[in-house]
Amino acid sequence: MGYSLVLTLPEIILSASAIALLMVAAFAGDKAARLSTWLAVLAFIGAALVVPGVTGPGGIAFNGLFVADSFAAFAKILIYVAAAIAMLSAMSWFARDGVYRTEYPVLILLSSVGMGMMASAGDLITLYVGLELQSLAAYVLASFQRKDSRSAEAGLKYFVLGALASGILLYGVSLLYGFSGSTSFEGIAAAIATDGISTGELFGIVFVLAGLAFKVSAVPFHMWTPDVYEGAPTPVTAFFASAPKVAAMALLTRVTIEALGAATFEWRQIVIFMALASTILGGVAAIGQQNIKRLLAYSSINNVGFALIGLAAGTPEGVASVLFYMTVYVVMTLGTFFVVLRMRDEAGQPVETIVSLSGLSRTRPALAAAMAMFMFSIAGIPPLMGFWPKFYVFEAAVAANLTWLAAVGIATSVIGAFYYLRIIKVMYFDDPAPAFEARRDLVSSAVILAAALFVSPLGWFALEPLGTASLNAAGALF
Amino acid sequence: MIGLGHYLVVSAILFVLGVLGIFLNRKNIIVILMAIELILLAVNINLVAFSAYLGDMVGQVFAMFVLTVAAGEAAIGLAILVIYFRGRGTIAVDDVNQMKG
Amino acid sequence: MNIQLIVFLPLLAAAIAGLGNRAIGNTAAKAITTGALFVSCALSWPVFLGFLSGGLQEQVVTVLPWLRSGDLVVDWSLRVDTLTAVMLIVVTTVSSLVHLYSWGYMAEDDSQPRFFAYLSLFTFAMLMLVTADNLIQMFFGWEGVGLASYLLIGFWYQKPSANAAAIKAFVVNRVGDFGFSLGIFGTFLIFGTVSIPEILAAAPGMTGSTIGFLGTRFDTMTVLCLLLFVGAMGKSAQLGLHTWLPDAMEGPTPVSALIHAATMVTAGVFMVCRLSPMFETSDTALTVVTFVGAATALFAATVGTVQNDIKRVIAYSTCSQLGYMFFAAGVGAYGAAMFHLFTHAFFKALLFLGAGSVIHAMHHEQDMRFYGGLRKSIPLTYWAMMAGTLAITGVGVIGVFGFAGFYSKDAIIEGAFAAGTTAGGIAFFVGVFAALLTSFYSWRLVFLTFFGKPRWAASEHIQHALHGDHHDHPSDEDAGHDPHGHEAPAHAIKEGTGGHHPHESPWPMLVPLIVLTIGAIFAGFVFHGPFLEPGEGTAFWAGSIAFDEHLMHAIHEVPLWVKLSPAAVMILGFLIAFAAYIRDTSIPDRFVGQFGVLYKFLLNKWYFDELYNLLFVRPAFWFGRLFWKKGDEATIDRFGPNGVAAVAVAGNRLFTRLQSGYLYSYAFVMLIGLAAATTWVMAR
Repeated sequence: MGYSLVLTLPEIILSASAIALLMVAAFAGDKAARLSTWLAVLAFIGAALVVPGVTGPGGIAFNGLFVADSFAAFAKILIYVAAAIAMLSAMSWFARDGVYRTEYPVLILLSSVGMGMMASAGDLITLYVGLELQSLAAYVLASFQRKDSRSAEAGLKYFVLGALASGILLYGVSLLYGFSGSTSFEGIAAAIATDGISTGELFGIVFVLAGLAFKVSAVPFHMWTPDVYEGAPTPVTAFFASAPKVAAMALLTRVTIEALGAATFEWRQIVIFMALASTILGGVAAIGQQNIKRLLAYSSINNVGFALIGLAAGTPEGVASVLFYMTVYVVMTLGTFFVVLRMRDEAGQPVETIVSLSGLSRTRPALAAAMAMFMFSIAGIPPLMGFWPKFYVFEAAVAANLTWLAAVGIATSVIGAFYYLRIIKVMYFDDPAPAFEARRDLVSSAVILAAALFVSPLGWFALEPLGTASLNAAGALF
Repeated sequence: MIGLGHYLVVSAILFVLGVLGIFLNRKNIIVILMAIELILLAVNINLVAFSAYLGDMVGQVFAMFVLTVAAGEAAIGLAILVIYFRGRGTIAVDDVNQMKG
Repeated sequence: MNIQLIVFLPLLAAAIAGLGNRAIGNTAAKAITTGALFVSCALSWPVFLGFLSGGLQEQVVTVLPWLRSGDLVVDWSLRVDTLTAVMLIVVTTVSSLVHLYSWGYMAEDDSQPRFFAYLSLFTFAMLMLVTADNLIQMFFGWEGVGLASYLLIGFWYQKPSANAAAIKAFVVNRVGDFGFSLGIFGTFLIFGTVSIPEILAAAPGMTGSTIGFLGTRFDTMTVLCLLLFVGAMGKSAQLGLHTWLPDAMEGPTPVSALIHAATMVTAGVFMVCRLSPMFETSDTALTVVTFVGAATALFAATVGTVQNDIKRVIAYSTCSQLGYMFFAAGVGAYGAAMFHLFTHAFFKALLFLGAGSVIHAMHHEQDMRFYGGLRKSIPLTYWAMMAGTLAITGVGVIGVFGFAGFYSKDAIIEGAFAAGTTAGGIAFFVGVFAALLTSFYSWRLVFLTFFGKPRWAASEHIQHALHGDHHDHPSDEDAGHDPHGHEAPAHAIKEGTGGHHPHESPWPMLVPLIVLTIGAIFAGFVFHGPFLEPGEGTAFWAGSIAFDEHLMHAIHEVPLWVKLSPAAVMILGFLIAFAAYIRDTSIPDRFVGQFGVLYKFLLNKWYFDELYNLLFVRPAFWFGRLFWKKGDEATIDRFGPNGVAAVAVAGNRLFTRLQSGYLYSYAFVMLIGLAAATTWVMAR
């Protein structure tokens, strides 16, 4: 029992911090918002530092409910860092449009506890609780700007559809439990391996996959994404697009590989369909968008599709490519969102239209250059970093005899390139729109610079360690 | 004799009713919240029935977890609904389409 | 020997003038290119004289290793032997004079640096061609001159006709170059090398061998020689591939003198002579060369007799003279072919530059029907043109003195007779008849241009120039409604001058004329010994061409009537021209009235252009349009880029509509997906 508590130390740190900060919020009110944000950042740093220490081959806590293997460690560090950076973007943003409330870092911390549990889930119960913990906090975050009806609508839509998805997932979970006789991933895998797949289990698998697909916003369970991304406050959108995506993808990977490894043939077809549908819809639907946040929502759908191609391979290399993809994706997405967060007109009002980026290269050359790099990178154009994850994903697909899937994936990435390049065209070749307000923001500048350096060819130095780490992490699932 | 199959059928019917409640109902968001509760209820019947059938306590423990989470979920859902109503003055499902495309 | 300097100075100058362009200004660009060419020329003459005196031996200077690919080893090296030396002086002399001439001729042009850069670039490419030690390098120079020719023909790119002519030259040359490249491939296939000395050494051993193609056996050497000769036909505008040369006159006149008279068009002759040991191995190929050359000489001469554009007359004359060179090569008289190339370069460049001087004096009027009586206005040009005409018609007294063409052309005609073959015999008679026509059209040109009464008034160019002069004076502009302001004085109309007073060209144009005049008069007399005479020739050529001593001996033994026939037809041609254009100027019209069909046939250049339009151009356009409209637009574009774009846009519309904003439709889509996935998994 004591050993189990040690293994869950990152979650304990985050939970304790969340409760402590909730006390701060209750007694000190909004005055302590900035302080508690930095304290939350410290908690994230602490948790991330602890993660490698508690990771080990035998890292199984609470009789298999909770797994602290290298896969979970990779995902958790990424989640914690992404969540912390996304949280930092919120401080100045909310302060400018009203009050930055102390609950924000608390909600992010709680959501992150849930995400950590998703990454470490070894049992359907942990899966469900982690997922709900993450989701419930996220629903609140989406409607965080209470006065803004769009934010409220985003929260409402996210909540209703999320609850439906949870219901579907849970129904699948109950079927899986009933027909395999176990809630642990190991038990399910053993049941499938010995008795084959029964009809009930098949139903269960489909329902569970559907519920998880909702979380990663894979087509056709993506419908909430554009509306929620557009309506939620921009820092929240930045958060949604980064950490929860990693957690959900990690969970999906763990369930499919660990629990359903014997049923690969069954789930692979669904994953392939979702992958192709996501890349195509993500690319096509984004073409006509006017709102940059909505466009980035479709972009995230598109990117999830590519990551799913790696998952469809079902091999250690495929899983490693998924982790690698999510890492680079998170950096590019956060960088892009930090640029979007800078989009405020002279009066200080946030603007979200793509047209307002017109001629940014002349009014704000450095910002435009960074944005152009992120766009080229997300489009997967070498020598930028964004090329490599796509390359590894396709390589894994080819190695798993899914050459046609890789080929179609490459073709659809061309469609995606269109709207990324359109943004660059707007920034560099259109007549300048009114300039954005110039305002010093050290944190934001530092994040944008770091992200830009990472996606630049300098990021190649990270290729080797990232590749080794992701392969090592993927190895834990097999 | 009422067996496992009966419970599963009842559960399935409840699940379908819940799902239909979400997308056939175009009037009131409260109804949607109730439909969600219905779905979770269906799941709980499944879990308990399986638990009894398998002679395994985990299912019932799981049901407890589901109940707890459902309570939290309902609370948050109602809270968001209240915020939404304050802003828009309506909770008609048809009016929730400020964002689309 | 400074062969690298000779070859690369023009390139350097072209790069500076071309890249510097407006940055360095007109004068600098002109001075650099012209200076480089004169240095190059000054370095070339000692080389030639060295070979003439026997003081220099053939040598090969390697510049760089170029290609190393399996068996294909190509070095970039400069070969200098007698043949190269002859070409060196021809190219550098004419080129430097043309550069100088262009100072005057192009003085009013807006883009002079570009012009001079092209000229120098051409010279470099031509020098690469003549110094080639292997076929690849020769092909490089070959294409380089083609490029420069294209650029210079289309130099006045504002003129649609110039662009059309440039494209025509390029496309027709592609046909020839395709043959040439096939020849090079074939040569490499057979001999395993592209080095010219190695090929020539191995060629005799291949005589009689055969090569299989499409199930038939062909004589190897015949196939190779004919393929290479197709290249020569294209470059040297031989019958069939000649159509581009008259149109190429759209380029500035100095270009016509340099590229389309003296140097580039002779590249084919040079190539045949360079590879003469190879051609010697195939009688069939030589017969073909003879017939093509003779046919071209005859065809071009007949067409030349009726042309009215002064440059076109000279262009057809060039075409005809190239025919002479080819049938000389065809009967084995390579020395005579090269000698004619050499003398022709001088007098043909002279004629072109003289014509340019006339055109310059006449405000770019090129139609000889609007000339006449220019003898007194531009005397220096007149005398230069006279010398050129005397040279091309071959005036001279056997054993005493003759103008340049006298020696070379007579040697070719006699050589054809002396060869003793059927083809040679036919070529002899054709050559004599063509000489008659040559004499006629050359004198016709002189008489129409310099003699008779001025007929300038009817020329639009001159009218336009006079009219334009008027507008240069603002005071006259104000009084523009004065009815007499635009009219030429009455007496001027009566005289036919239209009030125009032609002026002699400036000195930069006259100096080249004078130099070339000297060449046209003395080149034949001074150099015929080493080029043609049996003993001297063998020593001079030193194996760089297949110099046939027996044939050269035989030339001296031909019957007297053969020796006299060229002179006789030359005088006859002069008399006809004199009668028709000086004595009784109504003769041409009456002739046209009587033989209208023949006249039309000749005026339309034997309908070659029309025939090609029908046979190649229109089908090509038809195919092009088919592939464009049906293949590209209706298939590739429709189902390719446009199709994908249309599908993407339609898909975008569909997805946007699905994203209606309503919760229940979102939930519905999710459940459809769930149901579909379940059904799919169950059904399997």
